[in-house]
Amino acid sequence: MNLLQLLKKRPSLIVYSGIVILAILISNKLGITIDNLGQAWGNAGILWSEMFPPDFSVVTERASWTQTECTWSADWACSAGIHGLLETIEIAFLATLFGMLLSLPLSMMAAHNLSPIWLSTITRNVLAGLRVLPSLVWALIFVIMFGPGPLAGVLAMTLYTVGYLGKLQYEALEGVSRHPLEAARAMGLPRWQIARYFALPEASNAILSQILFMFEYNIRHGSVIGLVGAGGIGWYLNNYLGVFSRYDRALALIIVIYVAVVIIDQISLSIRHRFMDSETHAPRARWREIIPFFPQREV
Amino acid sequence: MVSPILSVRDASVGFEQDSPLLLDVNLDLHPGEIIGVIGRSGIGKSTLLRTVAGLIAPISGKITAPTGRGEIGYIPQRLGLINHQTVGYNVMMGALPRAPLWQTLFSLPGIELRESARNAIESVGLSDKVLDSISQLSGGQQQRVAIARSMVQQPMLLLADECLGELDSETAKEIIELIQKLAKEDNIAIMIVDHNPVRVATFCDRVLHVKGTRIEEVDV
Repeated sequence: MNLLQLLKKRPSLIVYSGIVILAILISNKLGITIDNLGQAWGNAGILWSEMFPPDFSVVTERASWTQTECTWSADWACSAGIHGLLETIEIAFLATLFGMLLSLPLSMMAAHNLSPIWLSTITRNVLAGLRVLPSLVWALIFVIMFGPGPLAGVLAMTLYTVGYLGKLQYEALEGVSRHPLEAARAMGLPRWQIARYFALPEASNAILSQILFMFEYNIRHGSVIGLVGAGGIGWYLNNYLGVFSRYDRALALIIVIYVAVVIIDQISLSIRHRFMDSETHAPRARWREIIPFFPQREV
Repeated sequence: MVSPILSVRDASVGFEQDSPLLLDVNLDLHPGEIIGVIGRSGIGKSTLLRTVAGLIAPISGKITAPTGRGEIGYIPQRLGLINHQTVGYNVMMGALPRAPLWQTLFSLPGIELRESARNAIESVGLSDKVLDSISQLSGGQQQRVAIARSMVQQPMLLLADECLGELDSETAKEIIELIQKLAKEDNIAIMIVDHNPVRVATFCDRVLHVKGTRIEEVDV
């Protein structure tokens, strides 16, 4: 069988070959060549040898150069790993909390089934605008405005959280059954009461799950924004990789981040599972579970 | 003669101007009166109810219904309960229209409103289920919650869409008694859609039969 016969029998081969040729051409244009890869392999070997074994003194020894003041007496509590990780979790917590408080009313305004079309269109555009830039770029902007430190990190991640969480939440609110909303509308209730008392509790399980997901996401991203000086463990990582060139300590920090993310993933997964299991009578997320300081009186 | 709570004059009902589901609907509903609407599925009974509730505009004609806050109560086909919440919360929702603004802002219903919700829950026999979530209740119990919500709301006009559903005769009888109590004791005008003509005839003062695009009154 010659090549022409083969292509006639399997025309999809033309498409696959086309994709491979295109990939080779683009790689050449971008300067990604086998030579470059070979050179990188050599550098990776050097980096590898300097990284191993990881130096876990980053979680035992007091770091004298912490970005924010550490007042704990225990040395390990003020180590780059633990202090940085705590700072990252604190930044993520504040950003998720502020982001949630801002995104909840915005998502109600953006939901088609709760707001007039003009308001939902404007709010959706605002939320889309906040999502245009990733949190890293927001962090760069806020570091320029407020200087390096956790404040820039909290503001950057809050803005990104509002955009991202707002979208997830208005989609959850739009997925609510129309029946309770119609019952409320027939009662003559204003829009905000329909949203607050009917739509929000009905979507509360999904919203709670999204908030937990966002917290987990913010912890992961909290490590990245530190690279541009916006606080958290990323700042220490950046210094060990750059100024200090201590790759063994950098690897130890990467392991700390990995372990923290895995633990938080598991906790978040088990909480979400508790509220999302529809097979059994899973405890339902109530309004007070989303914003605990809002009391909800039973009869 | 007491003036009607609901008055429908030459109304056409439906979603498209060119093909209305119901034509020339005329009806009056007085306080304390129960009207049953029967007819086969998909003929436009629910659409009529949603139009009267003000959720859909009539294609033509005039509908005069109460317009004040909480003056219309509506129990949709699937009851319109908040499944993720408790019996107590759902019944309290009936009190929202008459709750002062500050109470609704801070989610702190006053003693009087809580008292009325408690009484309504007691009268539908769900006192031991106050903190149960709706999804844990049986179909009949959910229907009682919807009725209790209307009891707390005290509307002038109550519109109930298939709220008797596929209930067994014993439970349906209990729900019917509650509906009759709302009409006779609280003087609420009730319009109820049902698919069972025999059952409707047992408790409604008047029965309207939807045939094709027309509605005609049948003898009870």
